[in-house]
Amino acid sequence: MTALDSGQLWVMRIHGAIAAIILIVLALAAELVVATVADGLPPPGLIAGLVVLALIYPCLIAPGRRYRAWGYRVEADELHLAHGVLTTVLTVVPFVRVQHIDVAQGPIERVFGVSRLMLHTAGTAHSLVVLPGLDSETAERLRDDIRTRIRADAA
Amino acid sequence: MTEPVVADRRLHPGTMLLRLLKALPQTLLVFPAILTMASDIGWRYFLPIAAGSLALSGLVRWVAWRCFRYGVGSGELVIEQGLIQRSRRTIPFDRIQDVDFEQGPLHRIFGLVRLRFETGGQGADEGVLDSVMVAEAERIRAAVRGAPRAIASDETAPAAAPLFIMPLGRVILSGLFNFSLLWIAGIFAVLQSASDWLPFDVRDIGAWIGLAERNLAGRVTPGAIAGVLLLAIMLGLASGVVKTLMRDFGFRLTRERTGFRCERGLLTRRDMLIPRTRIQLGQLLSGPVRRAAGFQTLAFQTLGMGEGEDGGGSQDAAPFARSDEIAAILAETGRLRLPGDARLIRVSRRHVWKALLPAAVILSVFVVVATMFDPRLILTGLAVPALLAFMLAERRSHRYVLDRDLLFIQAGFWRRALWILPIANIQTFGLRRNWLQRRLGLSTLIFDTAGAASGCGAAIRDLRNDLADALLHDVTERNRNGRVSRA
Repeated sequence: MTALDSGQLWVMRIHGAIAAIILIVLALAAELVVATVADGLPPPGLIAGLVVLALIYPCLIAPGRRYRAWGYRVEADELHLAHGVLTTVLTVVPFVRVQHIDVAQGPIERVFGVSRLMLHTAGTAHSLVVLPGLDSETAERLRDDIRTRIRADAA
Repeated sequence: MTEPVVADRRLHPGTMLLRLLKALPQTLLVFPAILTMASDIGWRYFLPIAAGSLALSGLVRWVAWRCFRYGVGSGELVIEQGLIQRSRRTIPFDRIQDVDFEQGPLHRIFGLVRLRFETGGQGADEGVLDSVMVAEAERIRAAVRGAPRAIASDETAPAAAPLFIMPLGRVILSGLFNFSLLWIAGIFAVLQSASDWLPFDVRDIGAWIGLAERNLAGRVTPGAIAGVLLLAIMLGLASGVVKTLMRDFGFRLTRERTGFRCERGLLTRRDMLIPRTRIQLGQLLSGPVRRAAGFQTLAFQTLGMGEGEDGGGSQDAAPFARSDEIAAILAETGRLRLPGDARLIRVSRRHVWKALLPAAVILSVFVVVATMFDPRLILTGLAVPALLAFMLAERRSHRYVLDRDLLFIQAGFWRRALWILPIANIQTFGLRRNWLQRRLGLSTLIFDTAGAASGCGAAIRDLRNDLADALLHDVTERNRNGRVSRA
């Protein structure tokens, strides 16, 4: 399995950090409200401290683990994807089943030069299979590669 | 298409009367209001007002009818409607998957048909002609289904013998298995909505018991209880039979050039085509009693024919059939078959533990807490062996086999489903292992198909890891080979 581009690790970390900042701001706001309403009942800093403790895993440890769990392999006729830390998932997408392909890039991804490859199939539960964290060049090469294979099969 | 199709046809004028009659029940509901109004303002004024409003609604219906026009060209269907804002919709024939006929009781009296065009788009009715004469409907359907060729071959070929029919006796038998106690809920719903006029509160259980005690004192004999039970069962059976008669009366499945034609219904008749190329997989469904009697339901999961009420794109091909009849229908699909000699393999024995462990943990916490309040509640712990027995039965029923180009998956000890899934119709597939499964060395294999109802996809749960990996590898290989042989 090929690992994702290292830029994706930063994208995941920043996503975690954004969530953390929002939650910490909320916790600080709660501290302020509690301090004005009830004086001293929960010691100051308790709520914020608990929130920060609770954030250690999802923001500091999880991004790295999730990043390492990701991998992909391009075979002759299909794409294999693996991901998931707690529940591991392996997905096989035969190229013939792909209806259309997108390459997408959000603002944070653009900063780190990575793109998402999105494969649409006719299925229902997993009709959209997303492979994130490809450096943009690979993503586009892969997209063109798969596209020619779809066309070759349709012909 | 060189020149545009002219929309020069109108719906049958009888449609106006039909819609008026359909609206009649609502009109009857306001009848009391009409009577009060009439007595308030006097009949002298009331009659002209009533006549005027009737004429007005007739005029509106006439204008709507007048403005609705359709046309059938050589390659497309055109529908124009609207008085002020006119819209023109063109539906090319090759986008139409099928033409469905639907005849309610009123339609049948007037010899009319409601035509519905199935296009790839899911859900919304993209084209409806409500209503046209039967002969006109036949003509449109023939045009859509591949034009003159189809008509010619139909004329020369002898009428195809039906592949599967349900005689009256079979429909009634099937109804008996559709035993339902829904009517009790129905009676309560009616009672509750009528509770404003009742002298007691339906939901007040204490009052019910009091009432029962007052009236039944000394009369509750085993005979009486048996009588009430018998009555409930009889009513349950009768409601099942009536429901099934309405839906499946005169069920006929015929083989057509492009697929299967299915007709059913007592009051409302439906006539639809399941295109053969759109069949994704077959499903055999059965309950325990039905299975013991040797009957099952065969349904096809189809692409883009989601109807909502049927749940996803599942179409009944035989609501109540023996396995030899099912085998004959499957043979006509050219791709599907029954497992036959292929022996289905059970999933891992640890499937039981994987399902039992989380439930047992929750249950034992509950038992411990409950016992603290009342020692007698320790008896709820008996649920654990019951759960174990149930899971053992479930595991025995959960089987699979990969046989050449087909994957068979069976699941469910009580209500059982058997998926007949062609490898070529699997869209994506894969493995899942959650925390507990990884500790037990198990995997779940998931197969995503087109047209599956959400949450009802085909999956093999809790297969031993090495077997799961091997099966995934086999499916991948056969997927490749299937394509090579087709090319």
